[in-house]
Amino acid sequence: MISSDVIRGHVDTIILKLLLEKEMYGYEIASVIKERTHNKFNIKEATLYSVVSRLEARELITSYVGEKTHGGKRRYYKVTPLGRAYYKELLEEWKMLREIMFDMLGSDNS
Amino acid sequence: MNSIKKFVSNLLKDYFSDQDKKELIDILTLSLEEKVEDLIESGTPKEEAIKLSLQEFGSAEDILEAFPDKTKNRKRLLHTRKSQLLFSGLAYLLICGIAIFVNLTFLDFFGGILWLFVVVIGVLFWPLVMLYLFLTSKE
Repeated sequence: MISSDVIRGHVDTIILKLLLEKEMYGYEIASVIKERTHNKFNIKEATLYSVVSRLEARELITSYVGEKTHGGKRRYYKVTPLGRAYYKELLEEWKMLREIMFDMLGSDNS
Repeated sequence: MNSIKKFVSNLLKDYFSDQDKKELIDILTLSLEEKVEDLIESGTPKEEAIKLSLQEFGSAEDILEAFPDKTKNRKRLLHTRKSQLLFSGLAYLLICGIAIFVNLTFLDFFGGILWLFVVVIGVLFWPLVMLYLFLTSKE
């Protein structure tokens, strides 16, 4: 499992990306992350929900109360236009980082 | 569901300003309650669902991790408080040193009055205040 230090700066990006794909409620985001990373990245829900609240405070996402299919009410989050623009910036940053790391370590299979 | 709110409030009790704290407690409690409901809907008994959710939730540090700016500010504040404490301590020693020296050297001139104790005890308020601020910001 990867240490949280390495990935800390990218949690915002991950959450925005997931919410751009689909509007989700808090625990759903946690489940999707767990599922997609095959448990390699186990983000604490305490961290995840706090990041979500920070993103909402910065108006990068908004929330509304919706009905879950076959279930009760949930607070769903969706990305605002501001959030979308911010995500694009973060994505560019990540591409740059990926290139740099690849240039440095890319062919090292030892 | 009240046990969840109590649990979250307890985690956050030493952090954040009151306004920020209230919002954060509300949102964390809500997300946890939704998780508990999800677990119940998928067949977990209620008591177990609550227990499991609280166990998996994480610590106060995990919450702080979501606010890198805040932890940075905290570190800076702690650093400032430390220098203030050090400065007040050194200045206290210097002032007391001068007072003791002047008082004792010219004791006859002051009519044998040992006023140095007034200074030594009086100025003590300064490092004490700084010590208090340092300790409370360290919490």
